[in-house]
Amino acid sequence: MTHFVGMHEDEVLGKAYDNRLLGRFIGYLRPYRWLAFWSLLLLPLIAAARLAQPYILKVAIDNHIVAGRMEGLPQLSGYFFSLILAEALLTYLEIYLLQLMGQKVMFDLRMELFAHIQKLSTSYLDRTPVGGLVTRVTSDVEVLGEMFAAGIISIVGDILVLVGIVCVMLWMNVKLSLVTFAVLPVLVYIVFAFRSRMRKAFREVRARLSTLNSFLAENIGGMAIVQLFNQQEKERQRFRQLNASYRDANLPVITWDASLFAVVETLSSVAIGLIIWYGGGEIVRGALTFGALVAFIQYIEKFFSPIRDLSAKYSIMQGAMAGLERIFLLLDTEKNEDKRESGQSPLNPPFAKGGEGGFKENFAPFETIEFREVWFAYQNDEYVLKGFNLMLCRGEKVALVGETGGGKTTVTRLLSRFYDVQRGSILLDGTDIRQIPLPLLRRRIGVVLQEPFLFTGTIEYNVCLGDEFARQRVEQAAAIVGADRFIRNQRNGFQEEVRERGSNFSVGERQLLSFARAVAFNTEILVLDEATSSVDTASERLIQEGLRGLLAGRTSLVVAHRLSTIQDADRIVVIHRGEKCEEGSHRELMAKGGLYYKLYQLQFKD
Amino acid sequence: MTIREYSNLYEYIRNCRTRYLLGSLFLLGANGFALLIPWLLKLAVEGLKNPAPGGHAPGYYAAWIIVAALAHGLVRVYSRTFILHAGRRIEYEIREDLHAKLQSLDLPYFAMGRTGDILSRFSNDLANVRMLLGFGFLNIINTAIIYLAALSLMVRISPALTLYAAIPYPFMILLVKRVSHSIFHNSKMAQEELSRLSSQVEENVSAAVVVKAYCREDAQTEAFRGIGTSYLYYSMKMANLRGILIPFMALVGGVGTMIVLLAGGSRVITGELTLGDFVAFNGYLVMLIWPTVVLGWILNLLQRGAASMARLNALLDAKATVREPSDPVKMEKISGRIEFRNLSFSYNGTPLLQGIDLQIGIGTRVGIVGPVGSGKTTLVRLIARLYPVGDGELFIDGVDINRISLQKLRDAIGYVPQESFLFSRTVAENIAFGRAGATLQEIEGAARLACLDGDVAGFPNGYKTVVGERGVTLSGGQKQRTAIARALIKNPAILILDDPLSAVDAGTEEAILQGFSRYYGDRTVVIVSHRISALRDCNLIVVLDEGRISERGTHLELLEIGGLYAAMYREQQLREEIAGY
Ligand SMILES: Nc1ncnc2c1ncn2[C@@H]1O[C@H](COP(=O)(O)OP(=O)(O)OP(=O)(O)O)[C@@H](O)[C@H]1O
Ligand SMILES: Nc1ncnc2c1ncn2[C@@H]1O[C@H](COP(=O)(O)OP(=O)(O)OP(=O)(O)O)[C@@H](O)[C@H]1O
Ligand SMILES: [Mg+2]
Ligand SMILES: [Mg+2]
Repeated sequence: MTHFVGMHEDEVLGKAYDNRLLGRFIGYLRPYRWLAFWSLLLLPLIAAARLAQPYILKVAIDNHIVAGRMEGLPQLSGYFFSLILAEALLTYLEIYLLQLMGQKVMFDLRMELFAHIQKLSTSYLDRTPVGGLVTRVTSDVEVLGEMFAAGIISIVGDILVLVGIVCVMLWMNVKLSLVTFAVLPVLVYIVFAFRSRMRKAFREVRARLSTLNSFLAENIGGMAIVQLFNQQEKERQRFRQLNASYRDANLPVITWDASLFAVVETLSSVAIGLIIWYGGGEIVRGALTFGALVAFIQYIEKFFSPIRDLSAKYSIMQGAMAGLERIFLLLDTEKNEDKRESGQSPLNPPFAKGGEGGFKENFAPFETIEFREVWFAYQNDEYVLKGFNLMLCRGEKVALVGETGGGKTTVTRLLSRFYDVQRGSILLDGTDIRQIPLPLLRRRIGVVLQEPFLFTGTIEYNVCLGDEFARQRVEQAAAIVGADRFIRNQRNGFQEEVRERGSNFSVGERQLLSFARAVAFNTEILVLDEATSSVDTASERLIQEGLRGLLAGRTSLVVAHRLSTIQDADRIVVIHRGEKCEEGSHRELMAKGGLYYKLYQLQFKD
Repeated sequence: MTIREYSNLYEYIRNCRTRYLLGSLFLLGANGFALLIPWLLKLAVEGLKNPAPGGHAPGYYAAWIIVAALAHGLVRVYSRTFILHAGRRIEYEIREDLHAKLQSLDLPYFAMGRTGDILSRFSNDLANVRMLLGFGFLNIINTAIIYLAALSLMVRISPALTLYAAIPYPFMILLVKRVSHSIFHNSKMAQEELSRLSSQVEENVSAAVVVKAYCREDAQTEAFRGIGTSYLYYSMKMANLRGILIPFMALVGGVGTMIVLLAGGSRVITGELTLGDFVAFNGYLVMLIWPTVVLGWILNLLQRGAASMARLNALLDAKATVREPSDPVKMEKISGRIEFRNLSFSYNGTPLLQGIDLQIGIGTRVGIVGPVGSGKTTLVRLIARLYPVGDGELFIDGVDINRISLQKLRDAIGYVPQESFLFSRTVAENIAFGRAGATLQEIEGAARLACLDGDVAGFPNGYKTVVGERGVTLSGGQKQRTAIARALIKNPAILILDDPLSAVDAGTEEAILQGFSRYYGDRTVVIVSHRISALRDCNLIVVLDEGRISERGTHLELLEIGGLYAAMYREQQLREEIAGY
């Protein structure tokens, strides 16, 4: 059997991933480069509007107030007002453009993630907690929003300003500049020392949030069990542990972020102190003019202002990168595996859109389906099917019976290619199903899963799943499986609301609806995995009668524990521990007196 | 509106008050140093300009500046860590309380809610609130300090001019009032859309097999795009409001400066104000511009936080209908006598169960049969009080079920639900779920009773095999039998089995039933089943039809009545005859 690998995904990531990250992200900005361009362009304009204000104040004071001339002052005020107005408008635009870009990028990423999740293999999904995937698509993308809100574009501006100021400082006075820059190694060191630690911590933060959500999702799903077994306290403790570990993962980040911020503040003052000390000496020695020193001090302040800005964004950036890592990691999962899963294969253009009209397509009807020496294991080499053979001809009703855990459901899953066989092959008219585009294969098959699943929505939606063609057959299908009786009793009939997982319907009702779904899609092949296990005998008979007409000319593969439902099958196949051990009609098998005979006796003894 | 949403926060903040207080003090200190350093710098520069004979060397001031800078840095670190840590700690506390609340909510609540929505509240909404409690608080205090300092200095220079500078502020308040509401509203809408995104993913992943089987991938993606687009729409509305608010705040500051320029300027000219004071006043005004902008940011945060808090409050204030009794009846041990007295029940107004009268003595084994949707599951759910029961309608050992402590009641019940839910833990942990500290022997014993031992022996990791979420990596029958073992190991006085053998073959069913008849002893057993074969040990059989008991009696009695049960039995027999010809 299996080793459920649990949260392996949420383990902290490796390092190699780092460098390509940003480049890849920039690829997502490309469609919005014009937004980026405009918001970049706005930055100097805003800066200009902002910088001009003190100048106007200065003119007002020097030329008017000091000179005692009132006239002209209102006019200057007018200028001043236009400047602040312009600044406000431009800032508004800047914020809006940047957010637009950010939200669009996030939207794109979400869409890509979601579409990718659709293509993930069943075996990957089997061992991936749902809550983890939810976290990827929501919170992990959401942290990118913080980055845009903090204005990543202004990073470019900050860096440009920084370069400019460094040039001016060097031009003004090389020695003083060097003294100022002497504090930088400390900063660089700290930034680098924090970088890897911060990133690691943020990865930890994201991973723990994901674990927390996975736990919570499961906890909510199993709340009835938790309460029935009085395990609230235990589950609280488990949750508390995860919650605390999430909190604790966050705390060091705060401290480092605060330290970085404080270090920049401190260094800016230390630099000034150094300049006073060194420059003061120079002045005393007459090597420096007083004015030059004062000007230089002002430049130091200007020099540190973009650095302060950058450092404030540093941890947000690191957090966003950690989110990105997880997003890209998921996008890269199984990326290079079978492309046909996407349904984009050139073989099947009509299905590329997954469109309506679905199952009516006129494929040439198949003649045979053959399981040839199929070996299959969910995990490693723990084979669940061992050299399984089965032949299904068109129009046949074949039944699969056998002990629980014998591999019946597995056979039906392989037929729909939810998993791929390890050895041997499954052939549709002689073609390996791995060669057939998935939609082409799956559209031939209507499945009733052993565990019915209903979606939030209406009854109608659950039967047709939004497919136009199936929608026309909803009522008919419901009647065939005898679901119409209880549907009519609902206040809104087919429009009655279905809650999460169908929680407002009884298990039998859910099963009938999922049966109706398979019927509504009107497929060539019907796979019924214990499709009537939760309905009463009378309903079961109704279904049998309803199906009789439907199954005529259709191929069906029926799994059943209740042998009464499969007595009329053309062939009955008995599976035992992954191997076919008997095959024949009911009468043949009864006559044979083997496993089937024994099962039958057990069921109908009185 | 905002205030009300936050009333729940008060307690949390109070519990963290030391951190907040220390953080605020350090913040005050940091601001002090921020003022001290320029002052030292001024002294140094003056000293350099007019070197007085007894004055200090430049190195003296430089040393002080560096010392002050280091102290400043230290104080800054602490101010931020204290406050931001407090934010994280409160987030933790709220999440704890939310989870505790969840654990206390009942099935009616969870039958309504969407898992994805709760997930989203726990992470995204809580993040908004935490943002406010951390960075929000930090900036509120910081802004307040700067405002107070600057204002007091400004008033000292000229109260009249200060009033002039304040002229644009009423306009600001007006706008803020209008915008606030919009922010609250749109933020709530955005959070709701985010919830829907989260639910959509949750459902889609859970239903992956259905989606794949019916090739609905593209339709699902389109549905997701719809929700994503509407989330984008509300997010952009938020961006728009933020885009208005923040520059507007800067504008307010600017207009203040302009008014002061005009009013103050004329005063300087008329000599009512000295030039130095005017310049200083202006300096303080400029100092205020940035905090005013931050104020806009804070307001945005406050409203966003309030919208999210409203969503958290909805969860925190949710009331369970199934609650612990306020005065539970003291009971030594529940022995398992169950009595329904004219019980009726409805999920949503339309009555489902009606006039149920049923006595189940200690050690009785009751079988319940009936058509799909007739209320069998509902009936047994009520015995475990998973849904609310009216007073005086259901008694356990003669005590009204509403007066028995839930813990006591459920401890006495072993319940196998119709749908097996397992946790993504090991098989052993799943079996021992209701009995902490069960030994391996006990686990194996329960597994043997449920005929699970053979399957587990086939797993390479045996009982240590971790199953997938909801047990997805087990076969249908294996899951069901694990759920049976989980109930049996509790050794309950009342055993409730809701269609417990629906997913097992005849051979296994036979073996399990044999095990059961040894296990039953004097336990009270209630079995729901569609297969009459599973009811063979029952000494009372009840037929439910459309929420009413239509027949009751022993197997033979019911056959004699010739009603629904007899028809059912005949049908199952008939099949045999047809088949056996
Ligand atoms: N997703 C999975 N991952 C790993 N192992 C699995 C998975 N699904 C089933 N198995 C294992 O494969 C074996 C066969 O399972 P399968 O579901 O095919 O049995 P089944 O014949 O349908 O049984 P049942 O009658 O109980 O439904 C079982 O031992 C089961 O534990
Ligand atoms: N949470 C709920 N909210 C609203 N209606 C519900 C809810 N649960 C069940 N119902 C309805 O109540 C009726 C009885 O449901 P119940 O699950 O008790 O039936 P059942 O007899 O156990 O059926 P089955 O044989 O299918 O298990 C059904 O019609 C169902 O749709
Ligand atoms: Mg199965
Ligand atoms: Mg039921």
